[in-house]
Amino acid sequence: MKDSFTLHELYRTAKGFTQQCDLTNRIILSFGEQVIAFRYLDFVSFRRKVDRVNLHDMIFNLDDAYDFEVIEAPKSNQQLVLTLCDLVQLRELLSGTQFALDLNTMLHEALYTYVA
Amino acid sequence: MKDLQRLRTSLKEEVELALNAQVKMEAEASSKYLAMASWCEVNGYLYSAKYFFKQAEEEREHMLKIFHYLADQGVMAYAPEVGPVPHDYPSFRSIFEAALQSEINVTHSINRLVTLCRRVEDYATENFLQWFVKEQVEEEINARRALELFDVIGEEGTGRFQIDRHVYKITQLDIE
Ligand SMILES: [Fe+2]
Ligand SMILES: [Fe+2]
Repeated sequence: MKDSFTLHELYRTAKGFTQQCDLTNRIILSFGEQVIAFRYLDFVSFRRKVDRVNLHDMIFNLDDAYDFEVIEAPKSNQQLVLTLCDLVQLRELLSGTQFALDLNTMLHEALYTYVA
Repeated sequence: MKDLQRLRTSLKEEVELALNAQVKMEAEASSKYLAMASWCEVNGYLYSAKYFFKQAEEEREHMLKIFHYLADQGVMAYAPEVGPVPHDYPSFRSIFEAALQSEINVTHSINRLVTLCRRVEDYATENFLQWFVKEQVEEEINARRALELFDVIGEEGTGRFQIDRHVYKITQLDIE
Protein backbone atom coordinates (compact mmCIF):
# COMPACT_ATOMS: atom_id res chain seq x y z
CA MET A 1 0.00 0.00 0.00
CA LYS A 2 2.89 2.30 0.44
CA ASP A 3 3.84 4.49 -2.49
CA SER A 4 0.26 4.34 -3.61
CA PHE A 5 -1.58 7.57 -4.28
CA THR A 6 -4.95 6.04 -4.80
CA LEU A 7 -5.22 3.48 -2.03
CA HIS A 8 -5.66 4.73 1.53
CA GLU A 9 -5.96 2.59 4.57
CA LEU A 10 -9.06 3.42 6.59
CA TYR A 11 -8.93 1.06 9.53
CA ARG A 12 -7.17 -2.07 10.68
CA THR A 13 -7.89 -4.72 13.28
CA ALA A 14 -6.36 -8.09 14.14
CA LYS A 15 -8.71 -9.82 11.73
CA GLY A 16 -8.65 -7.50 8.74
CA PHE A 17 -8.42 -4.02 7.29
CA THR A 18 -10.22 -1.61 5.00
CA GLN A 19 -8.93 0.72 2.33
CA GLN A 20 -10.36 3.42 0.17
CA CYS A 21 -9.54 3.41 -3.53
CA ASP A 22 -9.69 6.91 -5.02
CA LEU A 23 -9.41 5.60 -8.56
CA THR A 24 -12.54 3.47 -8.43
CA ASN A 25 -14.29 5.22 -5.51
CA ARG A 26 -14.56 1.92 -3.70
CA ILE A 27 -14.13 0.89 -0.11
CA ILE A 28 -12.24 -2.36 -0.02
CA LEU A 29 -12.73 -4.74 2.83
CA SER A 30 -10.18 -7.46 3.55
CA PHE A 31 -11.53 -9.76 6.20
CA GLY A 32 -9.94 -13.15 6.80
CA GLU A 33 -9.49 -14.61 3.32
CA GLN A 34 -12.09 -12.46 1.66
CA VAL A 35 -11.68 -9.23 -0.24
CA ILE A 36 -14.77 -7.27 -1.17
CA ALA A 37 -15.04 -3.86 -2.87
CA PHE A 38 -18.02 -1.71 -2.00
CA ARG A 39 -19.46 1.48 -3.36
CA TYR A 40 -20.20 3.86 -0.53
CA LEU A 41 -23.94 3.15 -0.27
CA ASP A 42 -23.36 -0.57 -0.48
CA PHE A 43 -20.83 -0.31 2.29
CA VAL A 44 -23.40 1.45 4.47
CA SER A 45 -26.11 -1.10 3.84
CA PHE A 46 -23.63 -3.92 4.44
CA ARG A 47 -22.55 -2.35 7.73
CA ARG A 48 -26.17 -2.03 8.80
CA LYS A 49 -26.84 -5.65 7.89
CA VAL A 50 -23.93 -6.79 10.03
CA ASP A 51 -25.10 -4.58 12.89
CA ARG A 52 -28.62 -5.99 12.72
CA VAL A 53 -27.61 -9.60 13.38
CA ASN A 54 -28.94 -10.65 16.75
CA LEU A 55 -25.88 -11.84 18.64
CA HIS A 56 -27.97 -12.73 21.64
CA ASP A 57 -29.89 -15.30 19.59
CA MET A 58 -26.65 -16.75 18.31
CA ILE A 59 -25.36 -17.23 21.83
CA PHE A 60 -28.44 -18.71 23.41
CA ASN A 61 -30.11 -20.62 20.62
CA LEU A 62 -28.71 -24.14 20.50
CA ASP A 63 -30.04 -24.90 17.04
CA ASP A 64 -27.26 -25.44 14.46
CA ALA A 65 -28.76 -22.72 12.27
CA TYR A 66 -27.66 -20.17 14.84
CA ASP A 67 -23.99 -21.14 14.78
CA PHE A 68 -23.35 -19.15 11.62
CA GLU A 69 -24.79 -16.12 9.96
CA VAL A 70 -24.62 -15.84 6.19
CA ILE A 71 -24.41 -12.27 4.95
CA GLU A 72 -24.63 -11.34 1.33
CA ALA A 73 -22.30 -8.58 0.18
CA PRO A 74 -24.24 -6.19 -2.08
CA LYS A 75 -23.64 -6.49 -5.85
CA SER A 76 -20.54 -8.61 -5.43
CA ASN A 77 -21.84 -12.15 -5.63
CA GLN A 78 -19.97 -12.87 -2.43
CA GLN A 79 -21.22 -14.24 0.82
CA LEU A 80 -19.65 -14.12 4.20
CA VAL A 81 -20.23 -17.04 6.50
CA LEU A 82 -19.69 -15.63 9.94
CA THR A 83 -19.42 -17.13 13.36
CA LEU A 84 -20.29 -15.18 16.46
CA CYS A 85 -16.64 -14.29 16.91
CA ASP A 86 -16.31 -13.19 13.27
CA LEU A 87 -19.33 -10.96 13.64
CA VAL A 88 -17.94 -9.17 16.65
CA GLN A 89 -14.66 -8.61 14.86
CA LEU A 90 -16.31 -7.55 11.62
CA ARG A 91 -18.46 -5.04 13.48
CA GLU A 92 -15.39 -3.54 15.06
CA LEU A 93 -13.71 -3.23 11.67
CA LEU A 94 -16.76 -1.73 9.97
CA SER A 95 -17.51 0.78 12.70
CA GLY A 96 -13.86 1.78 12.76
CA THR A 97 -14.03 2.25 9.01
CA GLN A 98 -17.12 4.39 9.35
CA PHE A 99 -15.31 6.44 11.94
CA ALA A 100 -12.43 6.98 9.49
CA LEU A 101 -14.88 8.04 6.77
CA ASP A 102 -16.59 10.48 9.14
CA LEU A 103 -13.28 11.87 10.24
CA ASN A 104 -12.26 12.37 6.62
CA THR A 105 -15.51 14.23 5.96
CA MET A 106 -14.83 16.50 8.93
CA LEU A 107 -11.30 17.14 7.78
CA HIS A 108 -12.46 18.02 4.28
CA GLU A 109 -14.99 20.42 5.69
CA ALA A 110 -12.43 22.05 7.94
CA LEU A 111 -9.46 22.13 5.59
CA TYR A 112 -10.82 22.56 2.11
CA THR A 113 -13.33 25.26 2.66
CA TYR A 114 -12.15 28.11 0.52
CA VAL A 115 -12.83 31.56 1.70
CA ALA A 116 -13.24 34.09 -1.08
CA MET B 1 -7.85 11.41 -0.26
CA LYS B 2 -11.35 11.81 -1.60
CA ASP B 3 -14.32 12.31 0.68
CA LEU B 4 -16.38 9.43 -0.68
CA GLN B 5 -19.12 9.97 1.84
CA ARG B 6 -19.73 13.61 1.02
CA LEU B 7 -19.41 12.95 -2.70
CA ARG B 8 -22.29 10.54 -2.36
CA THR B 9 -24.59 12.51 -0.09
CA SER B 10 -24.93 15.66 1.98
CA LEU B 11 -27.09 13.88 4.54
CA LYS B 12 -25.65 12.86 7.86
CA GLU B 13 -26.54 9.33 8.81
CA GLU B 14 -28.68 10.37 11.77
CA VAL B 15 -30.73 12.69 9.55
CA GLU B 16 -31.10 9.97 6.97
CA LEU B 17 -32.35 7.50 9.57
CA ALA B 18 -34.69 10.06 11.11
CA LEU B 19 -36.16 10.88 7.69
CA ASN B 20 -36.67 7.19 7.01
CA ALA B 21 -38.43 6.91 10.36
CA GLN B 22 -40.68 9.78 9.28
CA VAL B 23 -41.43 7.92 6.04
CA LYS B 24 -42.69 5.09 8.20
CA MET B 25 -44.72 7.41 10.42
CA GLU B 26 -46.50 8.95 7.42
CA ALA B 27 -47.24 5.47 6.08
CA GLU B 28 -48.70 4.50 9.44
CA ALA B 29 -50.78 7.67 9.50
CA SER B 30 -52.10 6.78 6.05
CA SER B 31 -53.02 3.31 7.22
CA LYS B 32 -54.72 4.65 10.36
CA TYR B 33 -56.85 7.02 8.30
CA LEU B 34 -57.76 4.20 5.97
CA ALA B 35 -59.04 2.18 8.93
CA MET B 36 -61.01 5.21 10.14
CA ALA B 37 -62.52 5.61 6.68
CA SER B 38 -63.51 1.97 6.76
CA TRP B 39 -65.17 2.31 10.16
CA CYS B 40 -67.10 5.38 9.03
CA GLU B 41 -68.19 3.73 5.83
CA VAL B 42 -69.68 0.65 7.47
CA ASN B 43 -71.31 2.71 10.18
CA GLY B 44 -73.15 5.00 7.81
CA TYR B 45 -71.00 8.11 8.00
CA LEU B 46 -70.27 8.36 4.33
CA TYR B 47 -68.99 11.93 4.23
CA SER B 48 -66.57 11.30 7.04
CA ALA B 49 -65.44 8.18 5.24
CA LYS B 50 -64.69 10.31 2.22
CA TYR B 51 -62.82 12.80 4.40
CA PHE B 52 -60.64 10.06 5.87
CA PHE B 53 -59.98 8.46 2.50
CA LYS B 54 -58.68 11.79 1.36
CA GLN B 55 -56.56 12.13 4.48
CA ALA B 56 -55.14 8.65 3.89
CA GLU B 57 -54.11 9.67 0.40
CA GLU B 58 -52.53 12.87 1.64
CA GLU B 59 -50.45 10.99 4.19
CA ARG B 60 -49.20 8.74 1.43
CA GLU B 61 -48.18 11.82 -0.52
CA HIS B 62 -46.31 13.10 2.52
CA MET B 63 -44.50 9.78 2.68
CA LEU B 64 -43.53 9.97 -0.98
CA LYS B 65 -42.32 13.52 -0.62
CA ILE B 66 -39.76 12.42 1.96
CA PHE B 67 -39.05 9.27 -0.02
CA HIS B 68 -38.07 11.30 -3.08
CA TYR B 69 -36.07 13.75 -1.01
CA LEU B 70 -33.95 10.90 0.34
CA ALA B 71 -33.38 9.58 -3.16
CA ASP B 72 -32.53 13.06 -4.43
CA GLN B 73 -29.93 13.37 -1.68
CA GLY B 74 -28.29 10.19 -2.89
CA VAL B 75 -29.30 7.78 -0.15
CA MET B 76 -31.62 4.84 0.16
CA ALA B 77 -35.24 5.36 1.09
CA TYR B 78 -36.73 2.29 2.70
CA ALA B 79 -40.24 1.13 1.87
CA PRO B 80 -41.79 1.04 5.33
CA GLU B 81 -43.32 -1.88 7.15
CA VAL B 82 -46.64 -0.91 8.59
CA GLY B 83 -48.03 -2.97 11.41
CA PRO B 84 -51.67 -3.50 12.35
CA VAL B 85 -53.69 -0.36 13.06
CA PRO B 86 -56.80 0.02 15.24
CA HIS B 87 -60.13 -0.74 13.58
CA ASP B 88 -62.40 -0.69 16.60
CA TYR B 89 -63.62 2.64 17.84
CA PRO B 90 -66.14 3.03 20.65
CA SER B 91 -67.91 5.96 19.01
CA PHE B 92 -68.07 8.32 16.03
CA ARG B 93 -66.54 11.07 18.12
CA SER B 94 -63.65 8.93 19.38
CA ILE B 95 -62.38 8.58 15.82
CA PHE B 96 -61.85 12.29 15.54
CA GLU B 97 -60.16 12.37 18.91
CA ALA B 98 -57.77 9.68 17.71
CA ALA B 99 -57.19 11.60 14.48
CA LEU B 100 -56.25 14.77 16.34
CA GLN B 101 -53.93 12.90 18.68
CA SER B 102 -52.25 11.25 15.72
CA GLU B 103 -51.67 14.63 14.04
CA ILE B 104 -50.24 16.05 17.26
CA ASN B 105 -47.80 13.15 17.41
CA VAL B 106 -46.72 13.82 13.84
CA THR B 107 -46.21 17.51 14.63
CA HIS B 108 -43.93 16.56 17.52
CA SER B 109 -41.98 14.24 15.30
CA ILE B 110 -41.51 16.91 12.61
CA ASN B 111 -40.38 19.39 15.25
CA ARG B 112 -37.80 16.95 16.57
CA LEU B 113 -36.55 16.48 13.02
CA VAL B 114 -36.10 20.21 12.58
CA THR B 115 -34.23 20.39 15.87
CA LEU B 116 -31.94 17.60 14.72
CA CYS B 117 -31.26 19.40 11.43
CA ARG B 118 -30.28 22.55 13.25
CA ARG B 119 -28.04 20.63 15.62
CA VAL B 120 -26.08 19.03 12.77
CA GLU B 121 -26.28 22.15 10.61
CA ASP B 122 -28.27 20.52 7.83
CA TYR B 123 -30.03 23.65 6.61
CA ALA B 124 -31.17 22.13 3.32
CA THR B 125 -33.18 19.46 5.08
CA GLU B 126 -34.48 21.98 7.57
CA ASN B 127 -35.69 24.03 4.66
CA PHE B 128 -37.30 20.96 3.10
CA LEU B 129 -39.06 20.24 6.39
CA GLN B 130 -40.59 23.69 6.65
CA TRP B 131 -43.27 22.52 4.23
CA PHE B 132 -44.21 19.87 6.79
CA VAL B 133 -44.17 22.36 9.65
CA LYS B 134 -46.75 24.41 7.78
CA GLU B 135 -48.73 21.36 6.74
CA GLN B 136 -49.03 20.20 10.34
CA VAL B 137 -50.54 23.53 11.35
CA GLU B 138 -53.19 22.94 8.70
CA GLU B 139 -53.72 19.32 9.74
CA GLU B 140 -54.22 20.19 13.37
CA ILE B 141 -56.67 22.96 12.50
CA ASN B 142 -58.77 20.52 10.48
CA ALA B 143 -58.69 17.79 13.09
CA ARG B 144 -59.65 20.25 15.80
CA ARG B 145 -62.42 21.72 13.71
CA ALA B 146 -63.92 18.27 13.16
CA LEU B 147 -64.07 17.73 16.90
CA GLU B 148 -65.52 21.18 17.37
CA LEU B 149 -68.47 20.20 15.21
CA PHE B 150 -69.52 17.74 17.90
CA ASP B 151 -69.84 20.64 20.30
CA VAL B 152 -71.43 23.23 18.06
CA ILE B 153 -73.91 20.88 16.44
CA GLY B 154 -74.38 18.43 19.28
CA GLU B 155 -74.85 14.69 18.93
CA GLU B 156 -78.52 14.54 19.93
CA GLY B 157 -81.28 13.86 17.45
CA THR B 158 -79.98 14.12 13.93
CA GLY B 159 -76.76 15.66 15.26
CA ARG B 160 -74.40 12.99 14.08
CA PHE B 161 -76.02 13.04 10.66
CA GLN B 162 -75.35 16.77 10.47
CA ILE B 163 -71.83 16.47 11.80
CA ASP B 164 -71.05 13.87 9.18
CA ARG B 165 -72.22 16.16 6.39
CA HIS B 166 -70.12 19.02 7.66
CA VAL B 167 -66.94 17.04 8.22
CA TYR B 168 -66.26 16.65 4.55
CA LYS B 169 -66.64 20.37 4.00
CA ILE B 170 -63.84 21.18 6.42
CA THR B 171 -61.16 20.80 3.82
CA GLN B 172 -63.17 22.62 1.16
CA LEU B 173 -64.28 25.69 3.05
CA ASP B 174 -61.92 28.49 3.59
CA ILE B 175 -63.47 30.14 6.59
CA GLU B 176 -62.39 33.72 6.69
FE1 LIG C 1 -48.52 13.76 7.22
FE1 LIG D 1 -51.63 14.49 8.61
